[in-house]
Amino acid sequence: MKSNNTDERFRGAQKYVLDEELAKIVNISMALEMPLLLKGEPGTGKTMLAHAIAESLEMPLIVLNVKSSMKLVEALYQYDTLTRLNDSRFGDSTRDVSNIEEYIKMGKIGQAFSTDVKTILLIDEIDKADTDFQDDMLDVLDQMEFDIIEIDKTVKSRQRPVFIITSNAKKDLSDPFLGRCNFHHIAFPDPKMMRKIIKVHFSDIDSKLMESAVSAFYKLRDIDSIEKKPATRELLNWIRALRSDPDFKPKQLVKGDIPYMGTLFKKSQDYEKAVNLTSRRRLI
Amino acid sequence: MFINFFYTLKEAGIPVSPTSFLTLHKALDSGLINSLTDIYTCSRTILVKSERYFDLFDQVFAHYFEGAEMPDLDAIELDEMTRALLDEWLQDPQVLADALGIDESEISKLTPEELLEYFKERLKEQTGRHAGGNKWIGTGGTSPVGHSGYHPGGMRVGGVSRNKSAVKVALERRYKDYSLSGPLTQAMVGEALKRLRNMVPAGPKDQIDIDETIYQTMRNGGEIEILFTRSLKDRLKIILMIDNGGWSMDPYIAVVQTIFNYARAQFKEVKTFFFHNTIYGTVWEDPPRIRKPKKVEEFTRIDPETRLIFIGDASMAPYELMATDGSIYITERSGKPSIEHLKSLAENFSHSVWLNPVPQSMWGYTHTISAIYSIFPMFELTIDGLEKAIAHLMAK
Repeated sequence: MKSNNTDERFRGAQKYVLDEELAKIVNISMALEMPLLLKGEPGTGKTMLAHAIAESLEMPLIVLNVKSSMKLVEALYQYDTLTRLNDSRFGDSTRDVSNIEEYIKMGKIGQAFSTDVKTILLIDEIDKADTDFQDDMLDVLDQMEFDIIEIDKTVKSRQRPVFIITSNAKKDLSDPFLGRCNFHHIAFPDPKMMRKIIKVHFSDIDSKLMESAVSAFYKLRDIDSIEKKPATRELLNWIRALRSDPDFKPKQLVKGDIPYMGTLFKKSQDYEKAVNLTSRRRLI
Repeated sequence: MFINFFYTLKEAGIPVSPTSFLTLHKALDSGLINSLTDIYTCSRTILVKSERYFDLFDQVFAHYFEGAEMPDLDAIELDEMTRALLDEWLQDPQVLADALGIDESEISKLTPEELLEYFKERLKEQTGRHAGGNKWIGTGGTSPVGHSGYHPGGMRVGGVSRNKSAVKVALERRYKDYSLSGPLTQAMVGEALKRLRNMVPAGPKDQIDIDETIYQTMRNGGEIEILFTRSLKDRLKIILMIDNGGWSMDPYIAVVQTIFNYARAQFKEVKTFFFHNTIYGTVWEDPPRIRKPKKVEEFTRIDPETRLIFIGDASMAPYELMATDGSIYITERSGKPSIEHLKSLAENFSHSVWLNPVPQSMWGYTHTISAIYSIFPMFELTIDGLEKAIAHLMAK
């Protein structure tokens, strides 16, 4: 994809607030045809970015949710032995039992390779899987092809997909893998950015509510030894809850009376800690 | 273009590779880079592969493209040392003030930031490693940094263990290893502990056993017989023994808590017990070690397949480990030296490890570490050590 083709540049999407730096990084990665590795704490919009790119460039999005026990082959293709066995016994299907190819199902990466349109391939939370997963993927990334051993066939990508890979920074990825990716670390949005994000989601929000909610939110995030800090998603849900409560007044937040704490803190210890602190008014 | 920039980055300690440098040039060719900001964003995303180096990259970039002062790389090391000094200071200001030959009351007026600066200056003044003597930071000598235990009648009530003065550790730059391997966060511990699994079939038979199905079908001459099997579930039992007493473990509380929290979240069958320094007759289920004692003898009834993990610095006075009534607590008398209790535990549980937060290179200096090392396989409490320990625990 060439840069002068302005239609194919990414500028953000309806529900996604994009900072300029990230937009540039996305565009340069697409121009260089390199996978983009996104790191950052949960709730910084790593996954949402892929959705936003797909939406704004109108490309189909294929999501590969990595699981801890996943092997790369599962992401490439699957050989459905059981159906074949069944067909060979009863022979009542339209499939040709002697043709193994009919029993090969493409995995997510396989699908992205075999479509005729350019796709966005989101490999979500790659750090969940073993390091073997990344190592095996090196070849696929380099060659943009993989072999199906059972039928001795090579699947080549027709349109090189745009790879977006996310990692929750649980552990460092292997060096050779990093070498093949562009890297960006999404920092947690600052209050200014957060206000923009809220605006995108609640266009009609009362500014008083937004101000007090944002300031209370960042103060809550600052509480020491909270294990799972509330992220953007929690803030948005919380605001949704606040807005739906007819008895709620933004002034309450300023006074340190914070309702619906359960939408912000999902771990019982964190919840207790936050409730304790706020009820003693030490926080605000 | 920018070859010097590339090498400056490398010298600054950022792992940059030639391939990525070539990629950067490809990007420059692509016509997408039109300003200095573009160069900044693109070179960072292409060259730097971890957010840990972002700060350093910023400094080098500012130096190269805008003539800003080059970051003083030594200063970063000094920073690490002074931070260690500050820790020491917070624990016992008097001792450190004496060690540095300064007046405690004078220093205590300073804010922590000023204090850091002050330490930094003193460290810069000092060239070379200093041992002995009575003024400077160093090992041995008459410097009061060291064991200052107070033993009325053999009962220890406090004191800084000699082998672990933060000052000395800082001087020999042991923290460098840690900074390289990164802080031990809960997530990292989680990754390491995940491998600690013992998968056994459990639950209803709801998974198709393909191999067995094919085999049986063949035996039936093609008549399909689908066989089901139970899915694999983790049934590993773990006992965690944590040394939560005394000064010597204080610096490691955060790390130990991390492991403890994770273990509780991850494993269903984990039992945690607490002890101080070493195990005499009893361990406790409650952290203050008062309410719920458990006799060591009772552990023989527990499934020997249980994995036993100790976390402790194994540093204490030799008599605590070897003497029949070595315990520092007067009420704790079992009639057997502690080392015998440890040995019987090691015999009972064939899979056991001792995780030691003390850096491995220091183990030789403490007698009791070597003694315990000969009973339990000991590993450093770092990500590397943890992985090795888990490999050991899972070995058949």
